[in-house]
Amino acid sequence: MKDRERDLSDYTEKLSEYIDKLNEEKKPEQHGGKIDSPEQERLYETVRQVRRLREPAMPADDFPQKLTKTAAARLNRRKVYNTLRNKWYWNAVAAAVVIVAIALFAFSGLFSKDNAVLAMEEAMSEVKAYHGILEFVSTNAEGEKTVQNKMEVWADEKGRYRVDILEGYQAGLITVNNDERKWHIRPEEKKVHLFAPFPDPYRFVFELWDEVEEAKNAKKTEILGEETVLGRKTTVLEVHPRGGVPYKLWIDRETHLPLKKESGMLNALQYTVAYTEIEFLEEIPADKMAFSVPEGFETEDRNPEQVVTSVVEAVKIAGFEPTVPKNLPASFRGKSISVEMLTGTIKLTYSSDDGQKRVVLLERKAEGDFKPATTAAIGKIGYYNAEFQSPVEVSEGILKTFGGMYGFRSIRWQKDGYEYAVVGNVSFDTLAGFVESLGAGTVRMPENMSFREKPQVEVPVDMESVENEQKSVDAGHSPWKLDPVFVAQVFVSLKMSPEGIQGDYPVAYENLEVVHNNGIDAVIEVKQENVPVKRVYMRRLVRQDNTGIWTVIGYDPA
Amino acid sequence: MPEEKRKINAREFDLSAVERLCTDTWEAVYRYIYYRVQNREEAEDITQETYARAISFMQKQNARMDNKISFLKKVSLNILRDRWRKAKGRPSEVNMDELNPGEVSTDDFSLSSTERQVITDALNELNEAQRMVVELRIIRGYSVTETARIMNKTEGAVRTLQYRAIKNLSEILKNNE
Repeated sequence: MKDRERDLSDYTEKLSEYIDKLNEEKKPEQHGGKIDSPEQERLYETVRQVRRLREPAMPADDFPQKLTKTAAARLNRRKVYNTLRNKWYWNAVAAAVVIVAIALFAFSGLFSKDNAVLAMEEAMSEVKAYHGILEFVSTNAEGEKTVQNKMEVWADEKGRYRVDILEGYQAGLITVNNDERKWHIRPEEKKVHLFAPFPDPYRFVFELWDEVEEAKNAKKTEILGEETVLGRKTTVLEVHPRGGVPYKLWIDRETHLPLKKESGMLNALQYTVAYTEIEFLEEIPADKMAFSVPEGFETEDRNPEQVVTSVVEAVKIAGFEPTVPKNLPASFRGKSISVEMLTGTIKLTYSSDDGQKRVVLLERKAEGDFKPATTAAIGKIGYYNAEFQSPVEVSEGILKTFGGMYGFRSIRWQKDGYEYAVVGNVSFDTLAGFVESLGAGTVRMPENMSFREKPQVEVPVDMESVENEQKSVDAGHSPWKLDPVFVAQVFVSLKMSPEGIQGDYPVAYENLEVVHNNGIDAVIEVKQENVPVKRVYMRRLVRQDNTGIWTVIGYDPA
Repeated sequence: MPEEKRKINAREFDLSAVERLCTDTWEAVYRYIYYRVQNREEAEDITQETYARAISFMQKQNARMDNKISFLKKVSLNILRDRWRKAKGRPSEVNMDELNPGEVSTDDFSLSSTERQVITDALNELNEAQRMVVELRIIRGYSVTETARIMNKTEGAVRTLQYRAIKNLSEILKNNE
């Protein structure tokens, strides 16, 4: 009976949120992957039907111009791809195409920063694999340049790669990940180290797919001008990433792909990395991806995972029956099953049909109570709290081997004595599809967790100084401001010792608990006696993602 | 020859053709999409993708666009189906075409008078409170708080009433199909 009441209250809440979204003229999550029952979907359709009695909300006046720009950018890109489609080398493209493309851009003013990034993204989507020589140069504050490394690299759209270090630090080292295994050939030690192919947080510097992704997700991009680099005409783009120091990209005007990258000056050092040669391929040559142990070399297995052929085998090793998804989200299929030997974690790996997306489902017996990472947003799965991370930065609990996975998101939760996580280079909606296919309950994203509470005492905020603090954190200072618990600890401690903190903080980090964090607002509760503050309210005022700092906006006195 | 009826060949595609195409057709295409998704954000997004895809397709296939609006609508409908189907991980339970028979093939994207009548009749079958909550929340677009104030109810009561109203309405519409 209670369950029914809870379901009903969940349905009414969801329906209300759906109507609110449409009233705000925003896309409801149900249109983008949230799975609901057919009955619920029928209700949403009824809402849309009734809404058709209203006149549609029309876009802003400049929409037709924006539309023309986007459509025209596609037109121009397509012209360039036709040249890319065939394997090409430097100096091998007809000059006429360049002139047409540049003339089109120049005429229409279409080579705006957004178009430059869009064009890169589209150009990259046409590339299947490439092979290039990368040169990595450092420059010190006096302007002295040193070649750090020269590498020969192969990479493909499915994330497979091979890196041979030709010159410089660690020359001779070969790293390969062919999606079945990852290995290092270390000539100095005469050893071949074996690793699990996934997760593999390693990416060689200036890997083009990652580079385009980073530019796409940047806070801001700006065109600085044009330059000829290595005999190629390029557009120079300044990229302001979300967090971190701005850097420059030189984008080939013909291929629309990055050719050179220069980091900002950090600790009196600046790095430049460039493709001195590049060719585009249909695939990486098979011999470059084939596993072989050079004569006289020893193999050392560093893979703590046992790959098994069925769930039954996994059960024998891990000692428990894992929950397996009932209906896989469309276009995903099972790829492998393995058991992490040290932790007894069963790992089910799924891949999209085109091989570009990967989702891993992890399950193990829980160790103690569920404790979400303090920097993570908190949502719900059924009635349980769940940790949401994007990207996966903190490797708590079952996510131990996944920390620092750029471009990956994760959802982690605990239920009935088991700990679960889904992690993948996919949207939260797709991950939620996996969670729900396990029968774990309905997923409520952190941003949809209602937040109605207000602090009893408001703390005034000076936006200018908050923005400056954010800049300072972006430059790598005071990273603790990204952790709401740490910010609360400092705030409460200063309330207790306004003259400043000497020695240990008067309130312990462990005694502060995140009771709410939807990625924008967070509430921390103090679980320690004799502290003048009971709850601290904070908000991400400048940026609402993992790179945004937390600022105290109020508190409840004890 | 009226602009709308002029056939477009992929080879003719240049910037001015794209501009003309967008200016001439965007509103019809946007309204057609909005009719289905009922929110501006998604309608703008799908409209943009429709033109980008249509142009890529025309250039790739060297295709001919005989009836621009009807071609663009078909593209947009494919995008919408793709997105909703892909996102939900299974075929859509509610087939939008079935709910609006004949809608896809006709150029009339606005609410037909018959459909308007069907919805109005269904609304009239609700009790007064339910009809009022639907009108305030969906047709007029008031928030739960504003609706609660107008109806002199708590916010929780408004949410429950609205759920029951939509559920009833859905049943009535289903039975009248």
